[in-house]
Amino acid sequence: MNRKPRRTFRQRLFTVLESLPFLAPLLIFLAILYGMLAWTLYVSMANWVGTAPNYEFVGLKWYQMMFRLDRFRVDMTNNVKWLSLGVLPTVALALFLAYMLEIGSVKRIEGYVRTLILYPVAMSFVVTGTIWSWMYQPDKGVLNTILRAIGLTELIGRYTTNPATATYWLILIFIWQYLGFAVIILQSSFRTTELQEMVEAAIVDGASKLRILFSVIVPNIRGGILILISLLLISALKVFDIVYVVTFGGPGYSTDVLALFMFIATFQQHLVALGAGLGMIIFLMALVIVIPYTIYAFRKWFE
Amino acid sequence: MRIRGLSTQLIVLLVTLVLTGVYVLPIYVMVMTSLKTPVEISQRAYLIPTRNLQFQNYAEAFRLIYPSLINSSIISFAVTLLAVFFGGLGGYYLSRSRSPFVRVLFILVGVALYLPYQVILIPLVQLMAKTRLALTYAGLIVSYLILNVPLASVLMGTFFLSIPRELEEAAQVDGANRLQLFFRVVSPISLPAYASTAIIVFTQVWNEFLLALTLSTPATTTIQVKLAEVKGSFVALYNIQMASALIGVLIPLSFFLFLGRYFIRGVLAGALKG
Repeated sequence: MNRKPRRTFRQRLFTVLESLPFLAPLLIFLAILYGMLAWTLYVSMANWVGTAPNYEFVGLKWYQMMFRLDRFRVDMTNNVKWLSLGVLPTVALALFLAYMLEIGSVKRIEGYVRTLILYPVAMSFVVTGTIWSWMYQPDKGVLNTILRAIGLTELIGRYTTNPATATYWLILIFIWQYLGFAVIILQSSFRTTELQEMVEAAIVDGASKLRILFSVIVPNIRGGILILISLLLISALKVFDIVYVVTFGGPGYSTDVLALFMFIATFQQHLVALGAGLGMIIFLMALVIVIPYTIYAFRKWFE
Repeated sequence: MRIRGLSTQLIVLLVTLVLTGVYVLPIYVMVMTSLKTPVEISQRAYLIPTRNLQFQNYAEAFRLIYPSLINSSIISFAVTLLAVFFGGLGGYYLSRSRSPFVRVLFILVGVALYLPYQVILIPLVQLMAKTRLALTYAGLIVSYLILNVPLASVLMGTFFLSIPRELEEAAQVDGANRLQLFFRVVSPISLPAYASTAIIVFTQVWNEFLLALTLSTPATTTIQVKLAEVKGSFVALYNIQMASALIGVLIPLSFFLFLGRYFIRGVLAGALKG
C-alpha cells in the first residue's frame, strides 16, 4: 500500500473553498464598513447641505469652514479634557485599587468591592446619565440636598449648569462608570505566575509597598496598561450619550464634544458635509488611539 | 501576594467604605425615588425610605416603555444570535490560519473593532432609507451587525486561541473537514466562550444609543431612546424616570449579577485576555 505522506496541521492551511463559509460573513460586514467609511470621506468633500444628497465635489471647503468655527474649537478642547481627565485618573485610581485588593484584602472584601464598582459596566450611559442628572440637579438634586442637610452649604455647587466646570462633572460620571472595568483588567494583568514570584521575592527582600508597585508591578504589566489606556481613550472619544442626556452640550455649547456636534450638524442643522467632516476627524483620532492597540494585539495573536 | 499590616488594613477598610458610599448612594437614591410620590420627593428627604411604597410607579413606567422593551429584546436577541454565529466562524479562521492574508484581515478587523458609529452614520442612514429597511427591525439589526461581527470574531478568536490544537489534529486524522472540526469538535467545547461573547454583544446592543436614536422609527424605538425621551418629557416626575431606568437595566444587570463569571470573561477577552 502506497500511502501519501500526511501533511501536518500547519501545512494544511485552509483551502479557499474550505475557508469561504468561515470568512464570508466577516468579509461582507467588513466590506460594508470600509465602504461606508470611504463614502463618508467623499461626503465630507462634497457640497451636501439639506436633506437631499448632493455629491458635487468641493474639496476641502467644509473642512476650512469647520476649522473656523468657534464651536469646533470648544469641542476639540472638551475632547482633549475627556481624553486626558477621563483616562489618566481612572487608570491611576484603578491601579491603586487593584494593588490594594491584591496585597491587602481578605477574599470576601475583594469580591464585594469588585461587584460594587463593576455593576455600572452593565448599565447604559443613558441610565447613568439619568441618575447623575438627578444627583447633580442644582436646586433640588440629591447632592446639594445632602450637603444642605449636613450643613456643608459652602460646598453646594452648580455642577453641570456652570459652563466653566460642567464638562468636569460629566467626566466624573465616566470615571464612576469605568473604574470597575479598569480594575478587573489590571487585576488580570497582575495574575501571572512570573509577576507573582517577582513580587514574593521583592517582599522577602524587604522592598516597600510603593516600591513594589512602581518598580516591580508597573514595568511588568505595561501590556495590560497599554490595552486599558487604549480602551478607555476610545470610550472617552466616543462619548455621546452622557453629554446628550445630561446637558445636550449646554449651557450654550460649553460641554459640546465632536461626537455630539457631528450628530447635531448632520441631523438637526442638515449640514451633512460638515457632519461627515466631523466624522472623519473623529475617525482620525480613533485611528491614532487604535493603532498601538492593534499592533500589540497583532503581536500577541500571531506570536 | 499578601502584605499584611495594620496600616494596610486600615487603608483597605477606609477605601472600601468610601467606595460603598460612592457606588451605593446613586442606586439607593434611585430605588427610593422610584417608590415615592412626587409630593414625597418634593419634601427632599431622599435618603429616608417612604412608608407606603408606590409600586404603581413601576406599573406606569412599564406601560410607558413596554413597546420599546419588546423592540430592544427582538433587536438585541437577533443581533446576538447572528453576531455570535458569524463571529464564531470568523474568529475560528482568525485563530487558526497564519497566512499573510489573515494578517492583513486581522489589522482590518482590529481597526473596525472599536470604530465610533459617527464614521458610518451618514451612509448608513442613506442606505436604510433607500432600501426601506429603516422602517423594520432588519434595518437596526443589520446596522448593529456591521460593528458587532468584527467584535464577536475577536472575542471568539481569543477564546479559540487558548484551545489546544491536539483535539483538532486527532479529528483531522480521522478525516474530518474544517466545517466538521468547527461544529463537532471546537464549538461544543467552546460553549462558555459563546456565552461570554453573547452576553457582551447583547449588553452592547441593548445599551447602544446613537445608532438607535438616528435610525429607529416610532415602530422600532429601542429602550435607550425611550428612556432618554422619558427623561426629557417627564422632567419633574423623577419617580417615573427612575422606575423606567431601573426596568431598563434589569436584563443586562441580571446577566452581570447571575452570570458574572461569563460577563467578566467577556470583558477581559475584549482586552485580549482569553
